[in-house]
Amino acid sequence: MSRRILVLMLLFSATLIVSFTATIILNPATPSELKELAKYYVLNTINETASPEAVTAIVWDYRGLDTIYETLVLYLAIVGGLAIFKMSEEALLKTRIGLTLLTKTSTKIIALLITSIAAAIAFHGHLSPGGGFPGGSAVAVASMIIIPVFAAGTLIEKGISSTKLVAIRGAALTALGLVALLPVVRGLEIVTNQKFYPASILGLPISGSLSLYNLLESLAVASGFTAVALYLSIPEEAYKGGSSA
Amino acid sequence: MMKYIVVGLIVFIVYVSFAGSTSPYTLATATIISVILSALTAKYLVVNERKLMEPWRLLILIYYFFKYMTIIEFKAHMDVVKRTFTMEIKPGIVKVPVNAKSRYARSLIMGSITNTPGTVVVDEKDDYFYVNWIYVSSPDPLEAKKAISEEFENFAIKIFD
Repeated sequence: MSRRILVLMLLFSATLIVSFTATIILNPATPSELKELAKYYVLNTINETASPEAVTAIVWDYRGLDTIYETLVLYLAIVGGLAIFKMSEEALLKTRIGLTLLTKTSTKIIALLITSIAAAIAFHGHLSPGGGFPGGSAVAVASMIIIPVFAAGTLIEKGISSTKLVAIRGAALTALGLVALLPVVRGLEIVTNQKFYPASILGLPISGSLSLYNLLESLAVASGFTAVALYLSIPEEAYKGGSSA
Repeated sequence: MMKYIVVGLIVFIVYVSFAGSTSPYTLATATIISVILSALTAKYLVVNERKLMEPWRLLILIYYFFKYMTIIEFKAHMDVVKRTFTMEIKPGIVKVPVNAKSRYARSLIMGSITNTPGTVVVDEKDDYFYVNWIYVSSPDPLEAKKAISEEFENFAIKIFD
């Protein structure tokens, strides 16, 4: 056995032993009481936002305005990237080979399963951990495996382009802004939830605006990240031989 | 029509089991999502709808799954375990012919070869697989096929071809 591996193993076991003994000797106390702030959220979230999931309630209701601006920042970053990369679809159309048959066939199935799970994450965001951003990111995982496996050119041929995806993202964000703005019409504050939106529709719990935000945010994140992945897959040759200043 | 139902059903089952609830809200959203996803993806996933109407294919697949995961995997693992102790290895890449036509059948054969220890499919070209093998007992394509993929192929043809 080489000396390097031996040293690494010794270091690893020493770290394990030290952390175990430290945990036993120091015995860090787990808090037995909730802090005032936590208590407030535990007791009031369900009444004030009609959502049992406090994290989503904080993100889209208590500090909703903050989250909406955050979404805008990511949108601008993606549009900026698109401007810098000067998406030329001709360059991408040349990449059309992709990986082997086994990878292609299994990716088709896996992408479908990932998208189903992503939808479950996004639609249950106001009921259980999850929400628009994690759901949309999970969809982006599906598209990020599809792009290298089938080659970006194949996607462009099927009519999926960065420009279209950014347009979808723009539409989703506009709708999201409208959901935030609509309560103003009735003289309420911006990003109002329960005073304006119903807690349930036909007996199905939707927690007012929370599920709408989650749905639109997942659409925006999924299309945004797919657009990024698409323009990052422009082959290097497309830039080589260009006019260098 | 059948392909949309089958793909939608798979999405529905995955969605509901991941959500881990059978509340009316989950079932309602699951229905919406499975309709949308199957409408969008079924044409890419299913080529020959007629095969979905033949339930014995599914039964053979289930039988193959259990046989593969237990007997075939066990034998392959024991073989490699023996070789790690005796170091009796003669690695090399062999050419293996395939007769299966459909892409699902071929993928199943490739996956089955790769998932058993000792053999890995490294490429596929013109009805041949190129398999990296831990102990090349014969470089002859037909002999190699007998040792590596014949059983997988018989099942794959019954299930998908």
